[in-house]
Amino acid sequence: MLGKSLLAASALLLLGQGSAQAHHSFAAFFDASKIIKIHGTVTDFHFTNPHGTIGLDVTDAQGKVQKWRAETNAPVVLMRRGWSRASVKPGDVITIEGWGSRDGKPYLRLRAAFDADGKPIGQPFGQSDG
Amino acid sequence: MNGTRRMLLAGLAAMTMATMAVVPLGAAPAPAAALSPPDLTGFWSLDATPHANDPDLIAKLPPNTVVLDDTGVAEFPSGDYGGLKPKPDALAAAQKWKPQDEMTLTRVCAAPSVVYAIQGPFPFEIYQTPTLIVFKYEYFDQVRLIFMDGRGHPPADAPHSKVGHSVGHWEGEELVVDTTHLAPATITNNGLDHSANIHMVERYKLGANGKTLMATQWFEDPEVLDNDGARFIQWSKKANSYVFPYDCDPSFATQYQQIGEPGDAGK
Repeated sequence: MLGKSLLAASALLLLGQGSAQAHHSFAAFFDASKIIKIHGTVTDFHFTNPHGTIGLDVTDAQGKVQKWRAETNAPVVLMRRGWSRASVKPGDVITIEGWGSRDGKPYLRLRAAFDADGKPIGQPFGQSDG
Repeated sequence: MNGTRRMLLAGLAAMTMATMAVVPLGAAPAPAAALSPPDLTGFWSLDATPHANDPDLIAKLPPNTVVLDDTGVAEFPSGDYGGLKPKPDALAAAQKWKPQDEMTLTRVCAAPSVVYAIQGPFPFEIYQTPTLIVFKYEYFDQVRLIFMDGRGHPPADAPHSKVGHSVGHWEGEELVVDTTHLAPATITNNGLDHSANIHMVERYKLGANGKTLMATQWFEDPEVLDNDGARFIQWSKKANSYVFPYDCDPSFATQYQQIGEPGDAGK
């Protein structure tokens, strides 16, 4: 039952209606005050409920590759924001912005994603979330 | 006017005359709502804009009821049950719960019951007939049949499910739905579960423009709670929309479990 929790937490944060700390599941997994941005190459994209995920190989300043995973809203929500299972594919170079994992793992909650040209993938978070 | 249309009109005229013939002279006309209840049919999406609770619906809640403030996008943090008063055993169980416990193949796609599910930020569709109303939810593909034909609930030991057994009736412009036979599941998504004997009553009504649907969701569960709970929920009607299949995939749990540890760079 994480779908509602994480969607809710993120939506509330952006709408400014309250503290994301009030959302236990989101607060348990992600730090609402820790916005991070990663840039790398897509390794896999799972467009399935309760949450989609994007695997990303991120090369750090020392040239080491770290495997990250970004969790998205439920695809039923993403579809209303212009996403599809073809929005990203392995080999794509993308940038993901989101909330970092509370436990420090290479894991984040996607708030926005951009393609190699810097164009947003889908609509900005919080619109057409129905 | 073709022959078929003439026959239909003639039939309607005859039916009208027959109806008029059985109404006693001087009898007050039946209220319109009794003849034609509001049509709730449509695609309804949670109204995430700030709005006040409908005072008339709130006023109809029984005493000893706390209205939970976790509808839609809001949720309570661990240990906060919004004013519900769990009995000691229920409270002890809730305090042991950890969110990470849900991230397993067997748990991550476990649907909540409608006690929790109906107030979330996912849309649903209503299909309405005089004897049956169908609620089709996007969240976990849940479907509820609201029997409007006067039947009661099945025996107490009949099978339970996450959508339960619902019977409904109209009270003026309001649809009242009574639900039992709900399988135990979360109430507030933070460890507090209801029992198999929870009893839920929802009261739905349209807003003045017909584009807003409002409801109170009241529940009692004496095995678990020392007081009763309720939520106020509001949705907006959207044209040309429909719920998508949810078809939960538990491999999400595996993806989570395979995430590297902090500082795993290069692995």
